[in-house]
Amino acid sequence: MIEVTSLSKRYPTRLAVDDVTFSVKRGEIVGFLGPNGAGKTTTMRVLTGFLPPTSGSARVAGHDVVAESMRARAAIGYLPESAATYLEMRVAEYVTFRARLEGVAGRAVRGRVAEALDRCLLADVAGRRIESLSKGFRQRVALAGALVHQPPVLVLDEPTIGLDPVQIIKIRETIRQLGRDRAVLLSTHILPEVESVCDRVLIIDRGRIVAEGTPAELRSKLAGTPTLRAAWRGSVAVREGLAKLPGVSAVEVEESEGETRARILCEPGADPRDDVFRLAVANGWVLRELAREALSLEDVFVRLTRHDEAAAAPADVAVAEPGEPS
Amino acid sequence: MRKLFAIVGREWRAYFLSPLAYVILTAYMFLNGLIFSRIVAFLSAPGAPRERFLSLMFTNTYVWIFTLFIIPILTMRLLAEERRSGTLEVLLTSPVSETMVVVGKFLGALGFYLVLWAPSVLFILFLRAKTSVDLGAAASGYVGIALLGAYFLAIGTFASSLTKNQILAAILTFAILIPVFSVGLFESGSDPARQSLIGYLNIWDHMDEFARGVVDTRRIVYYLSGTAFFLLLAATILHSKKETP
Repeated sequence: MIEVTSLSKRYPTRLAVDDVTFSVKRGEIVGFLGPNGAGKTTTMRVLTGFLPPTSGSARVAGHDVVAESMRARAAIGYLPESAATYLEMRVAEYVTFRARLEGVAGRAVRGRVAEALDRCLLADVAGRRIESLSKGFRQRVALAGALVHQPPVLVLDEPTIGLDPVQIIKIRETIRQLGRDRAVLLSTHILPEVESVCDRVLIIDRGRIVAEGTPAELRSKLAGTPTLRAAWRGSVAVREGLAKLPGVSAVEVEESEGETRARILCEPGADPRDDVFRLAVANGWVLRELAREALSLEDVFVRLTRHDEAAAAPADVAVAEPGEPS
Repeated sequence: MRKLFAIVGREWRAYFLSPLAYVILTAYMFLNGLIFSRIVAFLSAPGAPRERFLSLMFTNTYVWIFTLFIIPILTMRLLAEERRSGTLEVLLTSPVSETMVVVGKFLGALGFYLVLWAPSVLFILFLRAKTSVDLGAAASGYVGIALLGAYFLAIGTFASSLTKNQILAAILTFAILIPVFSVGLFESGSDPARQSLIGYLNIWDHMDEFARGVVDTRRIVYYLSGTAFFLLLAATILHSKKETP
């Protein structure tokens, strides 16, 4: 539904999007993840026809965003980063306006508006002025406006920004439902959001896509050395025993508050948890904690977008970390 | 068409949601009332040229000076506020063209401007009960008011498209309107070419003509082409200048 091919966007002073290629299929929710200024909003603005691309092309629902701009725009529901609405209007009035603006047929407007308000949990405030609502509600009003015409493609720029945790959970549920039968591209810099909502993640940094894959794929491919975390009661000499275990490459030990804690760095693919347990039993150590440290998506993200690292990941490799077998 | 109506309707209603609109409406009613009392006084005088009273109504200096200040206030918000708040992005990513956005907003403003003049229709109806009123001349007077208003509002819409600062848009509108308003002052002079050029641009004379029931197609062409010119300019600016600096 969304096909972007070698898209670049140059502003007078900088290259905001640099040769980006990706696609989003129907029934798929793709997360656009990147630090501020990475080019997420610019890419979305090109997709929605707000900005013309400098080079490359983008198609939405089969329509080129430049040559068939009107058709492409009609197929998109767009929630801009600002989530701007007309504050002096009432909620239902605004969503009705958006429906008419999108060309929803006269008799269908009422039903569509009611449905959009329902989806975005706004039915209770339908008659309130938007200016009297909190940021979270305003955000949902803008979202309702974006999906009132039931577009096959949704482009959501930071849809959960400014919401409280309960609202975030509900809006994510809404987005998941919407994603079942349409293509959704959402940008965020909130990592748990990507984990919980998206089928696929594009990590973008300085205008280039530096990694792409499902959250699990990204984690596993970039996991690096597996690490165990363990703790024992009292002060016990664990270092030597642990270091001798097969698959263990290094051990860091520290003692605190009557506990001995260790980080056990393992060789790739090794999982010596059983051995650590048996070692503790054999020595009579009281094992209090034993866990595998999972590399979070956050770690992946930080690794990929940390600019001081000597080698940045090349853009044309789906997932690549220098010096890492992939 | 439905999309255009959506924009016009929203814009028109937006005026009535702001307190400023009611201040302007009240001021206009007050001014119109003042004119009415003058007309009544004028008609009460013995031997008054009755057919001239419509000129009093449509070319009243106070009303037009007041209008000169009102137009920038009516138009400053139109596009500048959309740019500032970010709703311009919503409009321009909807399946509507820049021209439709500009024309829709302009028509909304024109609608409100005509509402300002609506009470004066009542005065004409009142007067008609007591004296003879040339309804043709009255109609042509309102055509003049609508044409002049459209021209001025188009200038304001254009100024509003240039910036996200409403005050700047208002000042710019005012700066363009002043010469448009006062060009007629330079009509005196001997050079006939200059006289005919300025006569073509002299809005006071035009309004007087309209009030006398003279509908000159040259005037209509002048105002309509001026309106179209500034609206197209505004649409072009929206198209080329989407990012807010």
